[in-house]
Amino acid sequence: MSSKKRLVGVVALGEVPEIALKVITAHISGYFNLSVQILPPLEHPEYALDEKRFQYNAGIILKAFESERFTDYDKVIGVLKLDLFIPIFTHVFGEAKQGGKFALVSMFRLGKNPDGSPSPSSIIYERAAKVALHELGHLFNLLHCREKKCLMHFSGGIQDLDETPIYLCRYCSTFLKDCLLRQPDNEKPLKQPDKIPLNLLSSEERFRQ
Amino acid sequence: MDEKMSIMVVDDEEIVRESLSQWFKKYGHVSETASSGFEALDKLEKHPFQLLFVDIKMPGMDGIELLEKVKTEYPDSMVVIITAYGSIESAVKAMRIGASDYLLKPFKPDQLSLVMERISHQKRLLFEHDYLKGRLEKITRFDNIIGQSPAMEDIFSLIPEVAQSDSSILLIGETGTGKELVAKAIHAKSRRSHLPFIAINCGALPDTLLESELFGHQKGVFTGATQARKGFLEVVSGGTLFLDEIGEISHKMQIDLLRVLEEKKITSIGSRDAVDVDFRLISATSQDLGKGISDGSFREDFFYRINVIMIDIPPLKKRKEDIPLLIQHFLEKYGHETTKHVDRVTRDAMELLKRYDWPGNVRELENAVERAVVLSQSRTLGIKDFAFLRSSIAPLSRPLSLKEVEKQHIQQILEEYNWNVTQASKVLEINRVTLHKKIKRLNLERRS
Repeated sequence: MSSKKRLVGVVALGEVPEIALKVITAHISGYFNLSVQILPPLEHPEYALDEKRFQYNAGIILKAFESERFTDYDKVIGVLKLDLFIPIFTHVFGEAKQGGKFALVSMFRLGKNPDGSPSPSSIIYERAAKVALHELGHLFNLLHCREKKCLMHFSGGIQDLDETPIYLCRYCSTFLKDCLLRQPDNEKPLKQPDKIPLNLLSSEERFRQ
Repeated sequence: MDEKMSIMVVDDEEIVRESLSQWFKKYGHVSETASSGFEALDKLEKHPFQLLFVDIKMPGMDGIELLEKVKTEYPDSMVVIITAYGSIESAVKAMRIGASDYLLKPFKPDQLSLVMERISHQKRLLFEHDYLKGRLEKITRFDNIIGQSPAMEDIFSLIPEVAQSDSSILLIGETGTGKELVAKAIHAKSRRSHLPFIAINCGALPDTLLESELFGHQKGVFTGATQARKGFLEVVSGGTLFLDEIGEISHKMQIDLLRVLEEKKITSIGSRDAVDVDFRLISATSQDLGKGISDGSFREDFFYRINVIMIDIPPLKKRKEDIPLLIQHFLEKYGHETTKHVDRVTRDAMELLKRYDWPGNVRELENAVERAVVLSQSRTLGIKDFAFLRSSIAPLSRPLSLKEVEKQHIQQILEEYNWNVTQASKVLEINRVTLHKKIKRLNLERRS
């Protein structure tokens, strides 16, 4: 994997625990084998506050990223402790444009377990790392995967997120490798095949096919 | 979600269009947007969309109006209504018009995921429904009963009519005419179509075995009856029982079946308890049952019981206009099964096949085409591919004179070449004048 050619920047927006950024960075380096750097923090994105919803519009923040000078980085992940939304959804854990350069990770809803009890820090940081890796997957053109035991499987809630593993299935892993092997300036979205090879499906899904 | 769909998001708010469109792209769906109902209809005219997400409140044409138009003009497209102004009334109205689902925005990400799961499930059910409907139509359109002759057209129009009643039907026709196919078509068109169709060839079973098969038996009533077994009369339960070669059954069996038809009850062998049965009886025979009644081998009362409606299926020699159609059907069938690209028959071969009498009827024709396709080296079947038909003609019982052999042979060659004397004389290796003389001397005439 030509990981040295791809440099990922991780940047805090407003106040974010440094340990969270370090955990995210370590996971990107460890699981995706990419070079990662923590960037100086950006200001609290007050401009993106929706006063009716008391939430921050992820689309507006991503738009604002485009005017920042991140030219040295192939991909940039913004990390916030704020509640993010996109207009159709009540909230999002993270947001990224498919094949784009910028992604966001919100830690706002990661602090509670499905039953409402507070989660230990280690779990919160692991969740943040999962969201970051998932969104980074989208930046490298990975699609949502129907294999439940894959990082790219869609998680709608905390329980789903906890059940989602931190690693990619063999299929998505191969796709990511292919994507990273290609030159950055020649980066056109690869077409992911419609069907997952049978040996990567769970027995239940194999039966359904 | 199992498969990629073409989706159009119709909303006057750009941010909603883009958000949804982006979300669908993350699943690999092909996503398009439209800012109004008019734009959506324009795009639908140019390209089919499997799924539309439509906002109810839009200027110009609202979502409900667009939904109505889509359901009228593009009924295969599914529509999910989304709105920030949702109410039970608009939801009910949208669902009544034909919306597949309904979402109130903003919604939780997993709600949209759930809607997509449901849509995917609905699509799969629709696909299965269409597939099964197609299969059923194929059966009920009598695709396996080929014919355009007036006699077959009469049968095609008779099948749906007789299928509606429960009256017993007697199919008469030579062997290989397709009696079982007609019986299956009647069953498929009847209200019993979802219940079993059981076919029994009475001629193929000895009387005692037939009795056991039809009525069932208790454990230990005869050697080999190691366990109790239900008979077909009970197993058919509500369906159709097809008894082929009914003329072959014994006198005793005729009486037993007559009783079943009158009382609608059976008693299995070795049992004293009667069981209620419900089935529709279709019988078939290639024999002359009238003759059987005259000589006493077939009971008259049983004949009238099974012969409420009689359908006479003509032999192939009486509907030769159907032969090209049947040949084409079998060519397609065996071309597909054998993966050999044999798709035509020469004119000469077709004439030969039309002249042949087909004593084994459609079954014989099917076997002939299958054999020719399997052995053929070319795409087109010629006379030589059907040479076995001539050799299969039964030998005569008495020895022929040389003159008779000569007469038969010349007649056969002339028929084969459609009475083209030039071609026939070349095959016979005699000159045309000689052939003309022989035709006159042997009193040869063109067969009808």
